[in-house]
Amino acid sequence: MATRSRRASLVETTVLQPLDWVDERTAAVRATKWFLFRNVPRDISWAQTLGSAALTAFIVQTVTGVVLAMYYQPSSAIDPITGKPVAYSSIEHITNEVTLGWLVRGMHRWGASVFVILLFLHMGRVFLFGAYKYPRELTWITGVLLLVTGMLLGFTGYLLPWDQTAYWATVVGINLNGTAPFLGPWLAEFLASGPEITSDALAKWYALHMLVLPGAVIGLIFVHIYLVTRLGVSSPPWSAGAAGRERPAARPEGARTGLVRGSGGGK
Amino acid sequence: MSDTGHDNSHLPGPSLWPIGFAVGIACLLLGLVINWVVAAVGAVIAVVFGLLWARDVTREVRGEVPEIEPETRMIAEEPAPAPAVAAPVPLPTYTRSRFLEATTIGLGAAIGAVVTVPVLGFAVLPSFTNVEEDEVDLGPIENFPVGTYVVASYLSNPQQGEVSRRTAFVRNNRAPDAGEPSFTILYSRCVHLGCPVQPNGPIDEAGLKEIEGIELRPVLAQSFGCPCHGGLYDAEGNRQAGPPVRSMDRYTFSIRNGRLVLGELYAVGNVSGTGADARISKYPWSTPGTHVDGVESWLYPIVPSQVTR
Amino acid sequence: MARDLGELNREHFARYKDDVKKEGKPFFPRALFHDTVMSLVVVIVIAVLAVVWYYDAEGTEAGILGPWYTEPAEPGTTSFIPRPDWYFYFLFYLLRIFEWPESVFIATVGIPTIALILLLGLPFYDRRRERRPMHRPVAMVAAVLTVLSMAVLTWKGATAREALGSELVRLVPEWAEEQGFAQNREATDGAELFAQTGCLNCHTYLGEGAGTLGAPDLSAIGRTNDASFFVPFLTNPAAFGNTVMGSYAYLGQENLAALGAFLEASKGGE
Repeated sequence: MATRSRRASLVETTVLQPLDWVDERTAAVRATKWFLFRNVPRDISWAQTLGSAALTAFIVQTVTGVVLAMYYQPSSAIDPITGKPVAYSSIEHITNEVTLGWLVRGMHRWGASVFVILLFLHMGRVFLFGAYKYPRELTWITGVLLLVTGMLLGFTGYLLPWDQTAYWATVVGINLNGTAPFLGPWLAEFLASGPEITSDALAKWYALHMLVLPGAVIGLIFVHIYLVTRLGVSSPPWSAGAAGRERPAARPEGARTGLVRGSGGGK
Repeated sequence: MSDTGHDNSHLPGPSLWPIGFAVGIACLLLGLVINWVVAAVGAVIAVVFGLLWARDVTREVRGEVPEIEPETRMIAEEPAPAPAVAAPVPLPTYTRSRFLEATTIGLGAAIGAVVTVPVLGFAVLPSFTNVEEDEVDLGPIENFPVGTYVVASYLSNPQQGEVSRRTAFVRNNRAPDAGEPSFTILYSRCVHLGCPVQPNGPIDEAGLKEIEGIELRPVLAQSFGCPCHGGLYDAEGNRQAGPPVRSMDRYTFSIRNGRLVLGELYAVGNVSGTGADARISKYPWSTPGTHVDGVESWLYPIVPSQVTR
Repeated sequence: MARDLGELNREHFARYKDDVKKEGKPFFPRALFHDTVMSLVVVIVIAVLAVVWYYDAEGTEAGILGPWYTEPAEPGTTSFIPRPDWYFYFLFYLLRIFEWPESVFIATVGIPTIALILLLGLPFYDRRRERRPMHRPVAMVAAVLTVLSMAVLTWKGATAREALGSELVRLVPEWAEEQGFAQNREATDGAELFAQTGCLNCHTYLGEGAGTLGAPDLSAIGRTNDASFFVPFLTNPAAFGNTVMGSYAYLGQENLAALGAFLEASKGGE
């Protein structure tokens, strides 16, 4: 080829060569390319965006949650300065004093509701399309587990502001678990960190909400997305051009295509 | 084999002298900061190893090239004759690789146990072993008028602070000169799912008494209602309507120096009779929603309070 | 040509993979574009909700999306009305439906556990290959019933109200307005007592309360009687032939007189 344009050689040195260097060692670039440019059925559209929308909501929750964790204090002891529980005071502080704290807190709080709504909508869409059938059974199961864990995240997070709403909703929730046969009362005592909610309980729920449950959700998301990517997105079942549709049976050899003797013939 | 003897650039043979030299320099520098004795020792080491290193490096230049033969055994001319025995039967052997596999897995399990068991224990056991129950002194019994309820608010565990604030509905059943003191002390948390029960009657805020952190408010109530799912209790705490699965929990009590002291919380199956003549079926406390009598109590054969108290 | 289900499934999947390879569109940019637009909508909705929530409320004063926070946790309260977050309202209302004590554990653990087992096991008990909704009657009926019942339960949970003191006492000024006894101090006191003493566990009044059989609506009771009837009645309902109501003598004469004045002033609102 003739002399390469300056622009092309600039791109080559600043972008392509470093990417090659990384790809030779990690295979990350070729994996990303495969993920981005793989084919999906041509008849999928907006209905199939609910899953990634739920993922976006989860990412919003994670990001806002991480930032809130920099200001929130999980203690039910009374703050001698404000006369209110420390956790409650930190929430007041975030909402009233910290710059843009009200917005991040609001997004985290409403992001939770949006996340739950999207999970249900996505589940309903998958059910409607029959996309839980072979070979996507495990995808469905990880999805249900994601729904349960997502709702548990909402439940554990609800306690953290330590206001009346939070405290009493949690008391009832713990006792609901306590009515399970045999191990119920033991589970309830573990969750409350004592026969009833004690001063240790808030830190435990914070750890569950911030570390244990997000860890579980992230693990499940990886498995879920791996399965979706490997098995492919299914076409809408009513679509005329659905991927995997039955093809009309091949005609036997020698059959005529036309009505008039001598026309057609062969395959 | 490396081609040490072949190229013109001399590749140094293996040697410890440079390392010793480096140690000496380090000691010297350290000694400059800490102690001149250390510095002197470091200088000596550096010089000695430096000289040894230099001697090695300049060996060829100075003309000494000692040949050091590897120690070998004299190789025999012929191989020894094979013993004239039949091929031995292979014995079952415990091979080295099997030993290593078993040890790796075993040690891994041990490591897992050493880490997991204390951690799980730490996570789970304190909720059961670190529970303390103090007795709460509610003040002189004169503050509790006979025949009506008083809403008492107190800290069940002052060291935990406000999180341990609890409420009980206390009724003095008998005037002090009429016999043994008798109190009906109902715990304010609903036995359906733990919601805060409300007395069905006006609370007399004007009659509030605050003594040492205890708040007492008289109330005119002959029944109690729960705001969550429609539970209703009568004046003895028996379920009148709604989903509560047993009667309201009660406290044991004792009178010390004319003061009412709360004891431990217990669950109640049913109360027959009223006031001082009430017959109370008493059970170990368990979380709201768990039956203590009847068929369904078999669903909860052992509850934590039976073990931790 | 009887082929078993597994074979048919695998053939279909092989055809699917083949079709996607030959006829499919690239994920980027075709599908990822839709995903990105939808994600933008999601983020904007979350931000808008947060802004509306913040600007419409003030501290513990609720706006259209609720307050910033309620009062600090009070483990010893006797006036708070617990409620879960809205997406648990369906479970909350189930607990109110199952009010027979022997049935409580059905609502607390029975139904949720069964629902979870049905959800998790779905791919194992529905093995039919048919995926078109119109050809899956059982699935569609189940789905519609589930969605409808969860919607109804959530709505009922959101609007559930208990006829208890702390909720009803707030309505006294409204009652005073409607019945016209706002100037009557005794009647207003009586109205507060009426709200707090559990009368509305059985009676109804201006749309509040439980209409347990036999307990009449009291909104217009003042038209037929006056305080000189009500006070003796409340002191001893049995003397008037009422064996269901207990005696309210324990409230004391002053309180009974206030209740009498209130009931007398309840002549049925405009």
